[in-house]
Amino acid sequence: MTLIADRPGPGAARPYRFPQVVRRSVAGGQVVAAHLPGQNLAVALLLLDAGAGREPVGKEGLGGVLAKALEEGTARRDATAYALAIEALGTELVTALDWDTFQASVQVPVDRLGAAVELLAEAVRTPRLDPDDVRRVRDDEATALRMDWANPGPRADAVLRADLFGVDNRWGRPMYGDPASVAALDVEDVTVFHSEWFIRPGTLVVAGDLDRIDLDALAATAFAGAGGGPVDRGAPIEVPLHAGRRIILVDRPGSVQSTLRLGHPAPHRAHPDHVPIALAGTVLGGAFTSRLNHLIREVRGYTYGIRGDFASSRRFGRFAVSSGVQTAVTAPALVEAVGEIARTQAGGVTEDELAVARSWRAGQLSVELQSPRAIAGALTTLVVHDLPDDYHARLREALLAADVAQVSAAAATHLHPESMTLVIEGDAALIRDELVVTELGEVIDATP
Amino acid sequence: MPDSGYPWPISTTRLDNGLRVVVSEDRTAPAVAVNLWYDVGSRHEPAGQTGFAHLFEHLMFEGSVNVAKTEHMKLVQGAGGSLNATTNPDRTNYFETVPAEHLELALWLEADRMGGLVPALTQETLDNQRDVVKNERRQRYENVPYGDAWLRLLPLLYPPGHPYHHATIGSMADLNAADLATFQAFHQTYYAPNNAVLTVVGDATADEVVALADKYFGAIPPRPDIPSAPDGRMVPATGVPAEETVVTDVPAPRVYLAHRTYPFGSPGYDVVTVLATVLGSGRGSRLYQRLADGERIAQPDLVGAYGVDLAHAPAPLIATATARPGVGGERLAAGLAEVVDELATVPVTAAELDRAKALLSTAWWRQMSTVDGRADTLGRYATQFGDPATVAERLPAWLAVTADQIAEAAAEVLAADRVTLTYLPEEDQ
Repeated sequence: MTLIADRPGPGAARPYRFPQVVRRSVAGGQVVAAHLPGQNLAVALLLLDAGAGREPVGKEGLGGVLAKALEEGTARRDATAYALAIEALGTELVTALDWDTFQASVQVPVDRLGAAVELLAEAVRTPRLDPDDVRRVRDDEATALRMDWANPGPRADAVLRADLFGVDNRWGRPMYGDPASVAALDVEDVTVFHSEWFIRPGTLVVAGDLDRIDLDALAATAFAGAGGGPVDRGAPIEVPLHAGRRIILVDRPGSVQSTLRLGHPAPHRAHPDHVPIALAGTVLGGAFTSRLNHLIREVRGYTYGIRGDFASSRRFGRFAVSSGVQTAVTAPALVEAVGEIARTQAGGVTEDELAVARSWRAGQLSVELQSPRAIAGALTTLVVHDLPDDYHARLREALLAADVAQVSAAAATHLHPESMTLVIEGDAALIRDELVVTELGEVIDATP
Repeated sequence: MPDSGYPWPISTTRLDNGLRVVVSEDRTAPAVAVNLWYDVGSRHEPAGQTGFAHLFEHLMFEGSVNVAKTEHMKLVQGAGGSLNATTNPDRTNYFETVPAEHLELALWLEADRMGGLVPALTQETLDNQRDVVKNERRQRYENVPYGDAWLRLLPLLYPPGHPYHHATIGSMADLNAADLATFQAFHQTYYAPNNAVLTVVGDATADEVVALADKYFGAIPPRPDIPSAPDGRMVPATGVPAEETVVTDVPAPRVYLAHRTYPFGSPGYDVVTVLATVLGSGRGSRLYQRLADGERIAQPDLVGAYGVDLAHAPAPLIATATARPGVGGERLAAGLAEVVDELATVPVTAAELDRAKALLSTAWWRQMSTVDGRADTLGRYATQFGDPATVAERLPAWLAVTADQIAEAAAEVLAADRVTLTYLPEEDQ
């Protein structure tokens, strides 16, 4: 048999183009659209400045309850009629919430987009919010969170977040709230949050074949009856680092794996080091080929996977590593993960690693931005972070231009292995003593 | 109503060694999806070797004669690509989407592991990936509430010896017993060009792809005697319901109700696909309307129904619901069964049918909206039905399903051999 031994080089690079972006002001709101000629499917997404960051402290989960309550009937029709009407178009009302935004979207064959946006606007702008329905939705959401929190992960995430950002701050509490915070919400919390944040016009994001879409008509529908202007979004928050490292142990008796959540605060999204920070994160933990996955999975076999990354919103950010490792190797996996983070901080990255990271991140722009849903997501990034139409093209250039010195400097500046919080959720009776012996930091038992 | 679910060109070629090459050109974006379906899955595994097809999939990323260990991932990601592989009862697929100028690299990598894996396979690699897979089993099946439902449903649905009786992830005991020689033989037996379909979709012409495929794969010899999996098409009815109750650390009672239906790709399964959507997709579905809304005994986010698209035996239809606080497992199971049974007695309305078809249409076009989604679908139709062009028939077939056909299918498959799997929290006992 003759296999060809020589690895082929690349052919001629083909130009990368982000779709043409159209921006308009219509009926008091903003429209941002991308033209996808020939695409059968279209996505419309209403972006509101009503993210988790707008929820008052103590009311975590409010946005999630409101999102579900939107579908419990509108001024025009009851919940069943609404469900049948929107699903007859081939879509559901998809809602999403992050720290900066609330998003409601529909995805339909392009000829049904107008009808789908009418139903989207009907739910977002004129929900019935009947008190009995709101209470039921709240109880269902509290139950859904209890179900979710029975899985490994959510408790560890909450403990890490509280330790990094302080439980007295909204951003030190879980983005979607916890079972108790949701159960404690009342009807008025929901109706007030709606009237405060859900009738401002916001931005309508559209991805589809614009030759077959009337943007002005969509916008008129989406912004009808809306009022109120933008509200100050607040400055980036200075989050202090801890003076030392600590281990926080979350007990999960009988767990066959230990869940690792390791992290520290990191820069907000608009920080000038954003690109080198992202590349440093990619080399350390952001890809299958990253240092952490190579060591902990491919060399040691301790886990099915381990990831680490920098994530950021408008006002704050964090670096975090997450994994599930077999209970018996919890301590060595933790020691090796922390060691790899420290090595990256101290020694930076190599040209070989960076070459993979930068081409991967740049190539992902053409590979992953294909579907209308993915393009709509890219447009929301432009809106939320005030970025120009050619942002994705510029990002590609910035990624490809980043050199070892810049990325190593970002690792040195923005990784803080000595200040990390190491949250371990697992069978405390089996792993506690070993964690103490690692001497990575004081072992603190999380209060349930 | 569209007369085609696939309005793009399809070109099919067979190389001299039996490798089928399917190409669908689309110049919209400068990217290509490369996809290989190998016609081997966990249905081929004999007793004592469960989990081997999937563990083997892991070994395919660990190097081959001209590709060093760990280099495969590095080269694809270093080219800007996304990649992965999956194993299910029917087959194993490997795929990467790369910027178009790296097409040749992707084909070289796939050819090298098709034709040159065995010399690079070491005991150390096997031991490492065995540990990784055991951790995958812990993470996905053992350490999460209800995580083992699929592992429990399969043996209830399919008798011992049936190719779908055991789950793809396999048992810890079999994984522990896996030896190197078995994996070397596994590759030599099944990873042959005449047991695979190579599909390329995106920014490349058919001529270009076929020439490159011939260059890189053309010298890999075919294997004349690839053993088939046990035939599972006929599953004798037992005539008795199968019930299993698991009392364990779960946060609420949950019920799975399952039936064997028809193989994926058959007219009967098209009907089941629409039936499952009527029954359990979205807030307008019968299960949501009756159990989550209506009686309010089920949690709204956790009620649903779906078919599992398996092609080599009657495929499962699964309906599931999780109890609201204060609702017991028995009441939930009775409510779920009642709604399922009514598919045979309460005719599906035109509005229900239209809703289901609209949701299925969107789901279909969503799968078709990316080059990787299209490539995997073409690979499936070429592998399982012999002709990738039959892909165009699926959506029209769904859209042609009638209410009468749903009632007939319900009467036939939902009356027989019901499987009920119930999870109960420990404190409820």
